[in-house]
Amino acid sequence: MPQNLHLIVALAMTFAAAPALAQSPMPGGMPPPPGMSLAESTAMRFPQPVRVGDLTDRLILQPVESQIILGRVHAVVRNAQGEVSVVMNFGGFYGYGGRLIAVPIDAMVLLGDEMEVVAYTPKQLAGFATFSADGTTPVADDAFLKVGLAKPSH
Amino acid sequence: MKSPFRPNDAPDASVLDVHRPLIRSLERRGLLRGGLTLGSLVMLTGCDVKRPEAVEAALLAISNLNDKVQALLFDPNKLAPTYPDSMILRPPKFNAYYDVTDVKPVNGATWKLELSGLVQDKRPWTLTDLQALPQSSIVIKHICVEGWSYIGGWTGVPLRTFLERTGADLRAKYVAFKTADNYPSSIDMAAALHPQTLLALQYGGQQLADPFGFPIRLRTAVKLGYKNPKWITAIEVTNTYPGGFWESKGFPWFAGM
Repeated sequence: MPQNLHLIVALAMTFAAAPALAQSPMPGGMPPPPGMSLAESTAMRFPQPVRVGDLTDRLILQPVESQIILGRVHAVVRNAQGEVSVVMNFGGFYGYGGRLIAVPIDAMVLLGDEMEVVAYTPKQLAGFATFSADGTTPVADDAFLKVGLAKPSH
Repeated sequence: MKSPFRPNDAPDASVLDVHRPLIRSLERRGLLRGGLTLGSLVMLTGCDVKRPEAVEAALLAISNLNDKVQALLFDPNKLAPTYPDSMILRPPKFNAYYDVTDVKPVNGATWKLELSGLVQDKRPWTLTDLQALPQSSIVIKHICVEGWSYIGGWTGVPLRTFLERTGADLRAKYVAFKTADNYPSSIDMAAALHPQTLLALQYGGQQLADPFGFPIRLRTAVKLGYKNPKWITAIEVTNTYPGGFWESKGFPWFAGM
């Protein structure tokens, strides 16, 4: 059977049977329970090492089925207290534009090659101050941070 | 302008209302639920769409036929695309039928892999035993039925090597898996013997991390993601259809790529 005919038959059968799109009866990216610190929330999400340079420009999603894009990773910074935050642009379109805000990295999770903000709603993020680099230092691209995981929300 | 594909006499829209509980019970969102439109329901020729069991049986028959066609088209010698190490996503994407907070890590020191069915040597295997077998590495794309994908680098024992070493009947139809997270799965023997099917022990050159299936998981380049069970605890070689977690909820069994 010619290769193209294989493809046509397979496609026809695929559409006929209409395979499932989702395998997630349980939601992912749930916010931390009330009273739990962000660090504790990350600790229960099996934090995994990720290279900081690999985070740059990743899409940041809202943990909802429609996977609304909140922004993109602009940089990763550490403040004088040693706390690490992800600087993301927020309020733009498809991750572009908007203003920069700094979100604690423990409020976020890794979702493959994307990230999600699990600890704050978009409304709360809208109340974050515009990021100022004063008092922060960039975390080097070749540094590794541990970030919690979540299953896809769709 | 009226579409040339629109029928002159529209079917009775109440059919969808009658079958709404059945459609919900299929637990498939997106394409399937969208696919069960009035038009596609009435296209199930020879099927009384007012009887839910008839609709379910018709869909299942189509899915089973789909499996058989895919098995016929499967080329056991054709390799899936591979990628350079530089494209490996680190860490990989977590996915399960529950969130990561519910992962129950497996103790590798006490873990044993049980064997049953058409296998000559049914001795349980330890992690050390598996690590002593010849290993192979592949960088392949994990493609999920949900629509997402990522490139991952896996190292482990080719399932063919393991089956040969244990004296499994390679003419059997199925290789079935049980897991610590109660996610039974199974694949056809042709896929089990494919050179890009591994009992994976490592990801990106490192021991598998807990949320990704430590101590072993299946990674095959010839099946969709949901055919790759993690935290495997038992393997059975059998001629009796074993099914699987998602297959019992209506997902196609073959799920080939």
